[in-house]
Amino acid sequence: MNCETCQLKELVVEPLEIRDVLRCILHTIVFHRALGLVRPKDVDCELFEITYVQCGDAELERKIDEKIDLFIGWVEKHPNKKSQVCLSFYEVRNKQATWMFSNKTERLYWEQWYINLHVINTKTHGKSHNSKAPINPGDNALEESSSRRASLESALHEVLFQIIKFVNEKKDHIPSVTNSEVISFPYEITTPR
Amino acid sequence: MASSPCNSYSEPPIIEQVITEFFAKSLHIILESRSPFVSSRNYSLDHFASSPSSSSSSSSSRPRDKWFNLALRGCPAALENFDLWRQSNLEPLVVDVLLVRQSSTMDMTRLSPGRCLLRNPSGKDKFPMSPRQDELGTRSEKIIERWIVQYESRKNSNFGKEMYLGSRKSSGVSHHSSEIPTLYKKTYKRTTVMLRSLYLFVRLLPAYKLFRELNSSGRIRPLSLSHRINFFIEPFTQAEDAEMNQFSFVPIDTPCGRLCLCVSYLPILEDVSSEPSTPLSTQFIMDYVGSPTTDPFKRFQSLPSAGLARRHSWSNDHGGMPSGSPSPSPTYSDSQAVHYNPTVHLPPHHLHDQPRSAISIPRNALAARKKNTSFEDYLSSFPFSAASSPFTPTHFYGGHLPNSLLRSGSAPVSIPSSRHGRNCGLLDQALPPSSSKPTRPGYSSQTDLLRAQNTSASRTSSPEGKLQTKKDPLSLGDFQTGISSAKAFSFGKDEAGTLPGLKCSSTCIPLSRSSSRLSLLDGFDDSEFDYPFADDEDTTESCNRLELSEGKDQVSLNLETRGLVPVPRSPDAVVGALVRMLNTAPPLRQDLSNSVRSSQVFRDESWIPRIQHKEDMEAEVEKSESPVSSSGITASGLPKPRTTADALAELRSYKEMKELLVKQGGSQSSDDNCKDKSADRDSS
Repeated sequence: MNCETCQLKELVVEPLEIRDVLRCILHTIVFHRALGLVRPKDVDCELFEITYVQCGDAELERKIDEKIDLFIGWVEKHPNKKSQVCLSFYEVRNKQATWMFSNKTERLYWEQWYINLHVINTKTHGKSHNSKAPINPGDNALEESSSRRASLESALHEVLFQIIKFVNEKKDHIPSVTNSEVISFPYEITTPR
Repeated sequence: MASSPCNSYSEPPIIEQVITEFFAKSLHIILESRSPFVSSRNYSLDHFASSPSSSSSSSSSRPRDKWFNLALRGCPAALENFDLWRQSNLEPLVVDVLLVRQSSTMDMTRLSPGRCLLRNPSGKDKFPMSPRQDELGTRSEKIIERWIVQYESRKNSNFGKEMYLGSRKSSGVSHHSSEIPTLYKKTYKRTTVMLRSLYLFVRLLPAYKLFRELNSSGRIRPLSLSHRINFFIEPFTQAEDAEMNQFSFVPIDTPCGRLCLCVSYLPILEDVSSEPSTPLSTQFIMDYVGSPTTDPFKRFQSLPSAGLARRHSWSNDHGGMPSGSPSPSPTYSDSQAVHYNPTVHLPPHHLHDQPRSAISIPRNALAARKKNTSFEDYLSSFPFSAASSPFTPTHFYGGHLPNSLLRSGSAPVSIPSSRHGRNCGLLDQALPPSSSKPTRPGYSSQTDLLRAQNTSASRTSSPEGKLQTKKDPLSLGDFQTGISSAKAFSFGKDEAGTLPGLKCSSTCIPLSRSSSRLSLLDGFDDSEFDYPFADDEDTTESCNRLELSEGKDQVSLNLETRGLVPVPRSPDAVVGALVRMLNTAPPLRQDLSNSVRSSQVFRDESWIPRIQHKEDMEAEVEKSESPVSSSGITASGLPKPRTTADALAELRSYKEMKELLVKQGGSQSSDDNCKDKSADRDSS
């Protein structure tokens, strides 16, 4: 079984936008792979005029938020860097132990999503918001910020369309559903270390 | 030899059911995010357990909403009848999302967003759920989205061949009967994924934002969303097709066909927020201009200290009526408050819900009628008295007014509550029940009446209205009331220390006096108030003068503007002042018709005005249409400005009159005696 990989379009985000963007993307992907009985929950982005859908699974929501926190922590330590958050779906297969002492399970990834983010810090880019900065951001800074936000919203829209296209085009690699869980397939979210 | 389940070009039943449910679920997903009232319907999980489509399959035990493991909220009305009207899975399902622009508000109120038009395959008949034409009114529709869900069978010549050729290359399609469960699972899984994508996709299109805005605003907008379900594909026009974007989901292969889902949508829609809208619910606008809610003083009708009426409520603003009154118990602070308030305010009580326009008389009207010596003009001059040539009360009351009070009072004064109302015909027009008591203690009521008089007069701020008041036989009382009120008004202001140029004697009745008329009367021996009478010309000038003042005289000015009611500070004060003057005035004989009429005017004896001057009265009577012209001035209109000299002259005239009467009486008696004697003589 092939592992389908999808590299999503890079998004330029600010630290404050990371959570909203990642939540939107991750939940959208997982919703496509939650083939158990779901009662979809529409969620409006906080910063964007985009409505995405969650599965309604509390555990999933918790895990996603947890990973986002980790990523944000890493971003704070590594500002202004391009990074990836990877969402992988895998199957667990018991690897036949070659040794008497080991009985490992193997993860066979059948789908991986790479969320490419370029986190920029406006402070280090001259648009300081601290008190020491001249209290005259001016209309230009405000316009640039709103313009950048609108651009990000449009880009996020495109990413969501990209996900939908990918999901529709690639269906054969999806394993069979063997349980009645909401999230039919195990998954993992990987953040930079 | 494997038997193909598609030999008959018909799907296995289970696949058929998947296809059927796919249509239903697709429609549900689309309508749920496009039809505003879809989600409002309660949908039972087992609602469609007995539906034909679900019951025909072996695995149809699941409720419809759980098909494809996607439990949706609500159930569109169209979906309920969907199975009834859809004859075959071979028919495409075309859902047109319409942007409806309603041209008529009336229609909009009856327009039910989300109404569904279902057409039968013939395309002509409308299903019962379709709106009637009369409900629609004038509206224009524009297709902003078209969803096409269809099953393409291999029966179709083109597709069938492709499927036949492709099926051999397809890695996921098996046509063995034994593989039906596998096929079913695969088809079901893919369909599930597709529907997940559809659920997300419908929320990414521009129409969803429009749907959210229309669904959540709760306002009547000219735009609304509707949908139309067809079972045939009506091609777009070239123009429509040019502006549409297309997106097609990857078809899902089935054993004997494929499921297709595509959408044509407008990438840019109208901004609903820019459209005018009206609230859905009928609401009473409480804060309209002139309402009690916007005029806080209007509500405080029992608060004498609420003397902060705004000027605009008195002056040319017809929508306002001053409320609040510094009287009947105006305090110094109240006076001062009035001083800083440019508006004249009437006693609040008994003037509930009086329209502001009722007491608003433009000065233009006043000026235009300055030549008219009607009673209204006279009354209208009251507010100007403070700044105009003072009218000495002695003109009426024997000239006991000190000179100080004769000067125009420039300080703002508060309008006392009506105290003359019961005697005023004007007041009858707007007499509240409580203010019609002709009793002495009813000074406050009189004040109310006075205010009501103002109200009624200003309500009919027209010459006719004023003429009505002029014709009122009680207009004399109005005049007297106004005079007294103005006097008290001025006096009270002086007492409060806010009236420049006005000197209070020791007997000045302060504004702070309570509504006790007795106290006012007692303290009104030496009326120091400046009776706010002015000539027509002077009235106008004083109007202008007062207008330009900082607001001291604006209270009285506004009264003049209204042109009806004098502006007494307090009803009791005014009453007392007038009564005092009257009491000090020399009595008149009965043969003075004016006195008789004046006594008729005032029911209260204390209000019986003394005839000021016979000549003046006669002159006023000539000019006045009011039968009661005894007051002369009251009936005839604008009073002449009174000065101390005038008052003294009047006093002299009184004295002369008295002497004359006495002489006449004496001569008459002598004549009578003579006549008697002659009669006796004759008789004898």
